[in-house]
Amino acid sequence: MTSAPLTKPRFSWDRVVQWSMVVLTITLVVFPAWPIVYQSFLAKPLYDQGRNFTFSNYTKMLANEKFWHILGYTAAFAIAATILALAIGILLAVLINRTDLPLRKFYFNLVTIPYYVSPLVLAFAWMEMYGPQGFGTILVRALKLPTWQLYSFWGIVVVSAMYYIPNTFLYATSSLALADPQLESAARIGGATPFQTILRVTVPLLRPAILYSALLTLVSALELLSIPLVLGNGVGIDTLSTYIYVLGVVGVSKDYGAIAVVAIFVVLLVTVLVYLQGKLTTLERRFVTLGGKATRPKLLELGKMKGVVSFIVGLYILLGIILPLASIVLESFVPFLSPFANPLKMLTFENYQGIFSSPAYRQSVTNSIYISIFAAGIGILFMALVSLTAYRSTFKGRGVVKYMALYPRAFPGIIVGIGFLWAFLLVPGIGSLRNTLIAMSIAFIMRYLPLGFSAVSPAIMQISDELDRAGRVGGATWLGTIRHILLPILRPALLSGYIILAISFLKEYAVALFLFSEGSRVIGTTMIELWKQGGAEPVAALSTIQMAITAFLIFGSTRLLGVKLHGK
Amino acid sequence: MENNLIIQNLTKQFAGVSSVAISNINLTVKEGQLATLLGPSGCGKSTTLNCIAGLEEPTEGVIRVGDFTMTNTAKGLLLPPEQRQLGMVFQSYALWPHMKVFDNVAFSLKLQKVKGDELKKRVMDSLDLVGLADLADRYPFQLSGGQQQRVALARAVVTRPRLLLLDEPLSNLDAKIREQARVWVRELQQRVGITTVYVTHDQSEAFAMSDMIAVMNKGELLQFAPPEEMYSHPATQFVAEFIGATSFLKGVIASMDGSRLTVRVANGDILKLTDRSSKSWNVNQNVTIAIRSERVEMAGAQRDGNILNAGVKSSTYLGSKWQHVVDTGSGSLKVETVDTAPSERMSLYLPPDSILLFPEEK
Ligand SMILES: Nc1ncnc2c1ncn2[C@@H]1O[C@H](COP(=O)(O)OP(=O)(O)OP(=O)(O)O)[C@@H](O)[C@H]1O
Ligand SMILES: [Mg+2]
Repeated sequence: MTSAPLTKPRFSWDRVVQWSMVVLTITLVVFPAWPIVYQSFLAKPLYDQGRNFTFSNYTKMLANEKFWHILGYTAAFAIAATILALAIGILLAVLINRTDLPLRKFYFNLVTIPYYVSPLVLAFAWMEMYGPQGFGTILVRALKLPTWQLYSFWGIVVVSAMYYIPNTFLYATSSLALADPQLESAARIGGATPFQTILRVTVPLLRPAILYSALLTLVSALELLSIPLVLGNGVGIDTLSTYIYVLGVVGVSKDYGAIAVVAIFVVLLVTVLVYLQGKLTTLERRFVTLGGKATRPKLLELGKMKGVVSFIVGLYILLGIILPLASIVLESFVPFLSPFANPLKMLTFENYQGIFSSPAYRQSVTNSIYISIFAAGIGILFMALVSLTAYRSTFKGRGVVKYMALYPRAFPGIIVGIGFLWAFLLVPGIGSLRNTLIAMSIAFIMRYLPLGFSAVSPAIMQISDELDRAGRVGGATWLGTIRHILLPILRPALLSGYIILAISFLKEYAVALFLFSEGSRVIGTTMIELWKQGGAEPVAALSTIQMAITAFLIFGSTRLLGVKLHGK
Repeated sequence: MENNLIIQNLTKQFAGVSSVAISNINLTVKEGQLATLLGPSGCGKSTTLNCIAGLEEPTEGVIRVGDFTMTNTAKGLLLPPEQRQLGMVFQSYALWPHMKVFDNVAFSLKLQKVKGDELKKRVMDSLDLVGLADLADRYPFQLSGGQQQRVALARAVVTRPRLLLLDEPLSNLDAKIREQARVWVRELQQRVGITTVYVTHDQSEAFAMSDMIAVMNKGELLQFAPPEEMYSHPATQFVAEFIGATSFLKGVIASMDGSRLTVRVANGDILKLTDRSSKSWNVNQNVTIAIRSERVEMAGAQRDGNILNAGVKSSTYLGSKWQHVVDTGSGSLKVETVDTAPSERMSLYLPPDSILLFPEEK
């Protein structure tokens, strides 16, 4: 055999980038997690001198009756909200997608509105309309009709369900689109009425979707902070999230050990649910009956009920979504909102002037915009690279990446904030970053890594890998293939991922609550600050600003750039 | 120094899979020749090709073109695909949907910093070669399957690569176009004079196009030979079966005289044959004999033995000929005739030179 000199492989950045993606992903998850675990075993705050290890945080918490009470309350609230959101979401999905309901196309977009609105804003909006001093409540009271108590268990459940209905609705809608409509036709031919068909065939076909979105909603409801906080705070209602918030922000003596223990408890609980949900996705593939796409489903006729049903759905949208949001917009333009004073005679920009004349408040708006534009942009590129490493490389560590990128789902926003705050305090040399938008952006990206990852990776998997193989053999490195071939093909998916991320960053408040400081306020934190000071009108103005930016993002991207936000 | 493609001891085992995908493949493809990897689905053809391309990392082995070593596991050398200077055509053609035909073909050249008129000339020359110069401004989705396939080929040869690798490039074409495509792929390969490895599971395609054929099964290379030799002297029973309509009869060696043997089949008939394999045989050894349907003749008056009487079991009209399955009393044979079967029974002559001999497979 000849022993010709071997050509050494030329250096390429491929491995460096793949390594960085793996290391960054793991770091991003571990970085905020370890200080919490660490703190849970410390007697004093973790940045104090003299670190004594102890189990007393755990033993104290487990012996604390209040903790168990809150746990039970949180579970009851989350389950009730989930059931309500599922029932209404699925009903709406079937009615709007599968029947000849009048105005169904029009309703579709309206039903999804809360998806784009921060739960904080939704809570304020319902408070404005249906709170004890709410416009609607006063009106009903004046008519001598029985009223209700929004600041209660059921009040919180209903508003939270309103927030989750778009999710359950959209999930059921996409499952319905996958289901074979011939199955419904077969039932009709077999003698079933439209209603029997819905009950016996359509809804049972959705079973995997129902289970899946039930867990998704449950996980989200367990960690939901804003709605229980805004509606329950004044009447002494606590959930695990508000408890952490009160312990850490409001409380006079901040008990860091207790916060850490509750946080760990929540993360473990959610981890179990997220794990179950992961099992379900694989199960679900067996259920879905593909192949019905080519034939347009024949709509079920509602018959004489048509008008009535459409009226009820319209009423739901009007009372549940439009009126509360409209009232908060209106309130932002008046000194006070009341059914006894004509608001149109008191129109004013005072509330906005109030916000824009305060440098701190003004900055919170610009900060939110910066984060939405830049952090979301960097974030989506990072998530795309992580996803490409996971699904389109031969890198040995890519299996770990798939798992790690999804794991932040188990971290409630408020805990992500605490974790990053403590990590920045603890790790030497990076403390100066703590008060900056950089720290805030990193925390936001970590929190939404699963969202971006699962928005981008299906699009990646749809591209035949022969396309990148052809690029490699044709002389391009892995990075070159990504740049010249994959990214251009992925552009639409990345763009819609970017918009979804930008909207999420704009809405986000929980991550920022612990982390923010002078200089890194965002809209959400300022809203809560103002709310605590009792200023309903400035809060309304901020809510309106947030909704306006979101609306701008949605219309700009869908109309001008042709972005599709959910697979319609 | 000749730039032959040399593959030594190539083995690939996928992580988490207990069996090997390919085991200990040794091949040499002469410069300018076209070698086909032929075998049933899952036998490891694509894996072998991907190892050559560098898209798959072999567990063991050496792959080189002349002096240019691309893979040498013992020395820890594994050149990434982009540094091998190869051309490849995929089953789905893998044309990049966001680039026009021109840009698809220009891709590798641009990476090599070829610019301006030179770039244009080389891309158009390559498109000329496949007769598609006037479609340079189209997008891939505006082309027919056959045209896409040709663009893929133009893209693969535009850089004058060391090797051309083709993984079932014709399998997505209609039967009619596929036959034409064979001819011009082969013509193009010969005109460019490029060393080529071609993967297919279609034996007629392999025979029509190749200088050499490698028959594979279950990850092993069974035989590597020119088409005529493969046809007349298949190395194993599997190869004989895979490359043509062949019938098999079981028997026992009755006598031996050098390379001339006689075999007794089940009902006692004795068949003479000439063995040209270099295997060693013993009297009374259990064997399998094989004969192709087109080699079986109708018995005439003058023949000296090797006659079998058989009853016709079924007849199928194939367009240009009839194929019959007949029962000889020692097993079934496939036989071809120009007209329909003359009668219920026929008398068959098996030429001694056309009978192949294999040890009985367990
Ligand atoms: N990524 C992989 N992981 C595990 N096993 C694999 C992988 N790719 C291929 N195999 C296995 O290796 C064997 C050879 O596969 P290969 O794709 O080379 O077959 P092939 O001859 O090209 O078949 P076909 O004609 O169907 O394309 C098969 O048993 C296949 O299941
Ligand atoms: Mg293959």
